[in-house]
Amino acid sequence: MSAGLKAPPYVRYCRRVEIRGVFIEDTFAEAFGMRAARVVITARTIKWARAAATKLTGFATSVIACKCEAAIERELTPDETPDARPGVSALLFTMDSESLGKRLTERIGQTVLTCPTASCFDGLPDAPDRLPAARALRTFGDRFQISKVVNGERYWRVPVMEGECLLQESFGMQKKGVGGGNFLILAEDVTSALAAAEAAVEAIDGTPGVILPFPGGVVRSGSKVGSRGYKGMIASTNDAYCPTLRPLTASALPDGVNSVLEIVLDGLSPDAIRSAMRAGIDAACRTGVRAISAGNYGGKLGPHHFHLREIMGAAS
Amino acid sequence: MSDAVVLTLRSRLDGPLDVRGVTPDRCAGLAQSEIAALPVWAGATRAALGDVFDVRGERALRLEFEGDLRAVHGLGAGTAAGEVSVRGDAGRETGAHMTGGVVHVHGSTGDDAGQAMAGGVLRVDGHAGSRLAGAAPGASKGVTGGEIVVFGAAGDGVAALMRRGLVAVAGGVGSFAGRGMIAGTLLVLGPVGDQPGLGSKRGSIIAAAGLTVPPTYRLACTYEPPHVRLLLTSLRRRFAFPADAGLLAGPYDRYCGDAGEVGKGEILVWTGHARSSRA
Repeated sequence: MSAGLKAPPYVRYCRRVEIRGVFIEDTFAEAFGMRAARVVITARTIKWARAAATKLTGFATSVIACKCEAAIERELTPDETPDARPGVSALLFTMDSESLGKRLTERIGQTVLTCPTASCFDGLPDAPDRLPAARALRTFGDRFQISKVVNGERYWRVPVMEGECLLQESFGMQKKGVGGGNFLILAEDVTSALAAAEAAVEAIDGTPGVILPFPGGVVRSGSKVGSRGYKGMIASTNDAYCPTLRPLTASALPDGVNSVLEIVLDGLSPDAIRSAMRAGIDAACRTGVRAISAGNYGGKLGPHHFHLREIMGAAS
Repeated sequence: MSDAVVLTLRSRLDGPLDVRGVTPDRCAGLAQSEIAALPVWAGATRAALGDVFDVRGERALRLEFEGDLRAVHGLGAGTAAGEVSVRGDAGRETGAHMTGGVVHVHGSTGDDAGQAMAGGVLRVDGHAGSRLAGAAPGASKGVTGGEIVVFGAAGDGVAALMRRGLVAVAGGVGSFAGRGMIAGTLLVLGPVGDQPGLGSKRGSIIAAAGLTVPPTYRLACTYEPPHVRLLLTSLRRRFAFPADAGLLAGPYDRYCGDAGEVGKGEILVWTGHARSSRA
């Protein structure tokens, strides 16, 4: 490790690994197992599909306070959707199966059922585990609803003022989803950090099976588990990476780093996370960025460890 | 184990032959000699399958029937899994009482095809006779599941007493289509005969080429039903079903009936041609 870079206690000393002059720390992102569903929303135009999907995935940055993490995965062409209309696929993650079903019911009911011309379909048709998330929504039809089975799947036609809302009854659940993949962009200033984060988000955008649940895909308020000053807090600011606290805490920041942004990733599989992290880190290695690091808890909490150097093909 | 069990009719039949029960799921565990010994009925006389058909192959989940099969009834009837391929025209009750698997008739079928079907797929490349997807004699309900896709036309009484499932006909159908439907969907791209949906409780009749709506049905609205788009897209993609793209969006007139029954049935009549002509 080069002079001037202070290593966190878990960082092993090793040969210097850089990408375009940006130091890649010998550490890992620690992630957790999550339950996941893919929701495909279609509408008469992409504008309305996007409108429903944006609402469906709103206020879903972290399970800590939002009960789920969700974001738009990508937009779909009519060839890719069940009803040959333009669509949007979104991924939704929770910590357990029961919660996933509840969140789907709540969010589809409030955002797709209400959105003009929108329909809702399962995006994981091969998943053996099923959640009948839209079954409860049929009752909005007040016994005027109609069930239809197409290609072995049940759909509900719910009469609404606009016409009819079509909802697929059950959604596949990926039990081996991964939440909390991440990497940290340690930059000289906020301008460089933001530019690198935006480049990373753009590079990751559209990676199949991966979402970035935070605003614009970027987190400025990385957290640590618990709190030093307040009992009962689940999480509090990650003071080791706060540049304003450098002299006041056991800072993990190298000299010259004045702003840190985090990219948090949720994925349907560990491989999807790896692929997205590789693309994102590579894009983030640009002028003004000093180092790339990652958040972990010493490897004791999450079963998934994404080692930065392995991912970037430069294992120490 | 073979890829398929091929059953070739030895000679043209003088009378009817009933082969119901000769299904791929049954043959999957049988040797060639055991398949040849399966019972069939030539009129009222019991015979062995091997007396009438050349049997090639064993222990396969795929059956292929070859020859002039117009007098062979019950082809694929009772199939629960696997695939039945009928090379040519088939007799009556083809695919009747299916609960799973696929029966593919490369020609036309006689009457009562898909009778009381509960699951699986019956595909007919040609025409179907009367009482397609109907009920067994005396039964209170007909088809309870599965999909029947006919690329030609069908006769009278299609989907009578249907309880669940899908019947799609690319050509026209005769009179009394969807009589007494309890639920399910009948899609017809061609002309529909008299008195469709008579006595229907629930269920959907979708007519692309128009029909004479019975007086016991009342117009609800003209709209774009999303499930029709989904259904047609699924059929086009899976079966190359010849539904024009213009049918996907609609609009469709929705009629509710039969007023003499529960009244929760519907007839959807495509009116896109009117929109086209107005344009």
